[in-house]
Amino acid sequence: MISLKINNIDVKGKEGDMILDVAKRYGIDIPHFCKNDRLERIGACRICVVEAKGQQKLIASCCTPIREGMEINTHSRRVMEARRTNMELLLANHDLNCVTCKKNLSCKLQRYAEEMMIDEITFSGDKRLYEVDHSSISIRRDNNKCILCGQCTRICNDIQTVNAIGIQNRGFHNKIAPPFGMNMHESACVNCGQCVIACPTGALTEKSDIQGVIDALRSDKFLIAQTAPSIRATLGECFGMPPGTPVTGKMVTALREAGFDKVFDTDLAADICIIEEATEFIKRFKENKDLPLITTCCPAWIKFGEQFFFEELHHMSSCRSPQAIMASLIKTYYAEKIGKKPEDIVLVDIMPCTAKKFEIKRPEFTGEADFVLTTVELGKLFKLLNVDFINLEESDFDNPLGESTGAAAIFGHTGGVMEAALRTAADWLTGEDLKEIDYKKIRSMDTLKEAELTIGGKQIKACVVHTLGEARRLLEQIRQGTCPYHFIEIMACYGGCIGGGGQPLPTDKERLIKRTKALIDEDEHKDIRKSHHNKSAIKLYKEYLGDFGGKKAHKLLHTEYYKRDYV
Amino acid sequence: MQILRKTELKAYKKAKKIGQKGVIEILSKKGLVGRGGAAFPTARKWQFAIDTKSDTKYVICNADEGEPGTFKDHLVLEKVPENVIEGIIIAAETIAAKQAYIYLRGEYEYLKPKIQKAISSVLKRSGSKVKIDIVVGAGAYVCGDETAIIKSIEGYRGQAYLKPPFPPVEGLWGKPTVINNVGTLANVPQAILFDDWDPHLRLFSLSGDVTKPGIYEFPMGVSLKKLIELGKPKNPVKAVYFGCFGGCMPYKEILLTPENVCGQNCVIGAGTIIVVDNTHSIVDMAETIAKFYAFESCGKCTPCREGSKRCLDLIAKIQSGKATKQDCDTLLDLALHIHETSLCGLGQTATNHLITALKYFREEFEQKCKLH
Amino acid sequence: MVQDLLLPILKHEQKKSGYISEAAIKRISIQTGIPVSRIFGVATFYSMFHTKPQGKNMIEVCHGPSCHLNGSFNVLKSLYKSLKIKPGETTKDKKFSLHTCSCIGCCDKGPAMLLNGKQYTLLDETKLKAIIKKCRS
Repeated sequence: MISLKINNIDVKGKEGDMILDVAKRYGIDIPHFCKNDRLERIGACRICVVEAKGQQKLIASCCTPIREGMEINTHSRRVMEARRTNMELLLANHDLNCVTCKKNLSCKLQRYAEEMMIDEITFSGDKRLYEVDHSSISIRRDNNKCILCGQCTRICNDIQTVNAIGIQNRGFHNKIAPPFGMNMHESACVNCGQCVIACPTGALTEKSDIQGVIDALRSDKFLIAQTAPSIRATLGECFGMPPGTPVTGKMVTALREAGFDKVFDTDLAADICIIEEATEFIKRFKENKDLPLITTCCPAWIKFGEQFFFEELHHMSSCRSPQAIMASLIKTYYAEKIGKKPEDIVLVDIMPCTAKKFEIKRPEFTGEADFVLTTVELGKLFKLLNVDFINLEESDFDNPLGESTGAAAIFGHTGGVMEAALRTAADWLTGEDLKEIDYKKIRSMDTLKEAELTIGGKQIKACVVHTLGEARRLLEQIRQGTCPYHFIEIMACYGGCIGGGGQPLPTDKERLIKRTKALIDEDEHKDIRKSHHNKSAIKLYKEYLGDFGGKKAHKLLHTEYYKRDYV
Repeated sequence: MQILRKTELKAYKKAKKIGQKGVIEILSKKGLVGRGGAAFPTARKWQFAIDTKSDTKYVICNADEGEPGTFKDHLVLEKVPENVIEGIIIAAETIAAKQAYIYLRGEYEYLKPKIQKAISSVLKRSGSKVKIDIVVGAGAYVCGDETAIIKSIEGYRGQAYLKPPFPPVEGLWGKPTVINNVGTLANVPQAILFDDWDPHLRLFSLSGDVTKPGIYEFPMGVSLKKLIELGKPKNPVKAVYFGCFGGCMPYKEILLTPENVCGQNCVIGAGTIIVVDNTHSIVDMAETIAKFYAFESCGKCTPCREGSKRCLDLIAKIQSGKATKQDCDTLLDLALHIHETSLCGLGQTATNHLITALKYFREEFEQKCKLH
Repeated sequence: MVQDLLLPILKHEQKKSGYISEAAIKRISIQTGIPVSRIFGVATFYSMFHTKPQGKNMIEVCHGPSCHLNGSFNVLKSLYKSLKIKPGETTKDKKFSLHTCSCIGCCDKGPAMLLNGKQYTLLDETKLKAIIKKCRS
């Protein structure tokens, strides 16, 4: 243990702890922009500078390790002035259009400016001026608001290994963008939105579809919403509720109040997805063909695979994502059932994810889902429509597409899809109704997790990864023929969908754990915790889809992948 | 000049004989310190790399002499490249590195054939198995910083990063790496070989408003007046700049030791002396140097990226006659801020010239300002 | 191996083609496995790399303080007179590109410049005219 003083308080920390982190444990918040716990500390923004007794210069607290006997002042006059000047320097190069900014009131730059009482900017002169990049279906990029903290590009390069954007030029002309002046749409961007949740300002935000949804709500069309598994665990945060507060019932009521005619649960589609995927897995496992099988619920991962690993795509499950399954069922089965033309139904998907906006625009899904709203957008929509979310009564999803199991609930966090799939696959392979269904090993936040089970003397090796960098390593193993697994779950976002690009900010590890817990609680409190026991799903197969993995199921619930060129 | 005495591989042979321990001992005893500006004891730097266990280690010769007004490494590389190469193979074999790089600044690329020739000749004659490659830079002052050199050789943008870990522990591709300046490595064989080698001799690069500019070799503590008189200035001398990063002082007699120069709020650094006579404006100098820093800032940290540009904006405002005295205060505050909060050595020293110019020659700035 | 390093590869490309084109970066990316965005970031970082086509002759005028004191501004003025271009520009006939650069270590012989990497020192208007004339012919 190392003892030191911070603001005259005796504090202790471990060897290697950074000043900023130790201070935080003792309730002292030091402002910072470029620090991200998932990234290497670079000490570039210099907002976190503090004064250390005996040192001539101010030091960056985010990346200075504590030493015995240090005396740190985090808010001395000198420190506050330095921080203020750095803020002013950043603001002197910012467009300052706060009121019309999508991050208004949720922007870190704005918050610090307010906290530091910056009412005037000393510096003037040239500003870097850029055109706003609207080209991407998922992400809006406005470099005029960028403060060059570099989190987005480090996430994109180091964690996701997509390398769509990078730092260019030098000095004052530094810029974060795709190469060659390309726009985001032309770039290798997979729309995961991890850059969006890392961005402290309004430089990277989700592309908004709220206006389109409002137009639809005010039309005479039949409005249906489907909500992804993770939304119920995060939407409350948009209304100031503690992270991990489940708000399923309120969410459904709110959607009805907002004007949706029916509210369906993507969880049902998740159960169907498991039924199809488990069927597919067992077939491949028995034939020992095209293993490992990789799950395909994540649209960012799909685009990543199509770009970088086309030769390995036969390992991907042909099963659609739950979103796309539900969309397909609504515009076929449900439309027939209620006697409406598919084009008279407007389907709005409530998703945790910016990449889902891209997914619904894939040509093979034309005419299915109409809009994707992220969790954050849904929160904004409710506020816009004056829905008093906090005080709403709870209500249930509509039928027949509203029933779900615990297995579907956990789709929203890393490892959940695999856990759900293993529950079903194990039952089917043994022909029993197994009682041991908790795969706790794959619930952690580690980016690579393994599970093994032995059935009839045969071992199944499963693997769960999140973040695309981790996926890339696995895919490279597959390419080289050294991958030891039979079944793999890949999610692009850290933590799975609860850490998606459309989730409320901040999305940090602490919050991800709380959100995960909400989903695990939901699973544990459900009477039915296996997808293949979902009564509505079974009924659907009987009434409409036919056999598991059958011809009609394939037509409606499966898809294909295409090679994509990338830069 | 001492630095130009050829060692003809005799030092290398001696180093082989006395071995790793012997080399460290002799360099430590003779008091060889880095010639890049920081004056870190060479033997200690090497010892760190020796103490770090690793199969692979590297030596980098820092030939990115970018400090404006400095051209001593240029002289050494031109006149005695063999000494530098000999220094490199001694360093490499002492720390057990098999590969060495010479990071030659892009602006000096015309020296490459000469250095290449020296490498072949020295390796052939010495029989050393050390592999020496020249990596030519592409125009970035910040690559004089050792961490930025590492990034540059690794094929990244040459941006400095935070230490620790220090390069002798974790450097190029994560391996222990000794980075020494050209002048340091040229002195290694001399310090090993010659009993009369004088550790105090330094090369001073004299330029600016003098009719006899050039490299002068003197011991630390030489009289500034004597040095400048050797340069035969045309007009009365007004100020002396210790390179761009070292700051400036009004011309007067001092003995050039690090402490004395520091007493004038300047840094002697690599012995750069730029003479400014009374026909030139300090504000013009400030503008030229501020332009240099705004151009060379790597852009990684806020104060240097944004601040160096705002310094330039403020100086331009002063030059235009639209500024007030308050703008001079703002400029000084900003200069101090950049000095205090920047990430790397470049940023931390980028405004020394302004801080000192505003201390010693403030009236020149104020003369250009409006009255109120 | 030095030939595997990105910096020498880009250097070679710059020398061969006079600039580092989009196609070259894509090709280098395939050869080295280094992502395009990173190579582009490196190519735009160093001042001696250019991502836009440059003139046949590359003039880089030293802008260091010693050359400033010895009249680098006059060098730029003379060059403007004969070439009608300012720093950062290329002549219409694509024969010359003009840039200013940081100190080239010729402080004892300023004002100085690099022409296609070769140093020219103690410049004055007559000398510059002769140099330009020689390049034109």
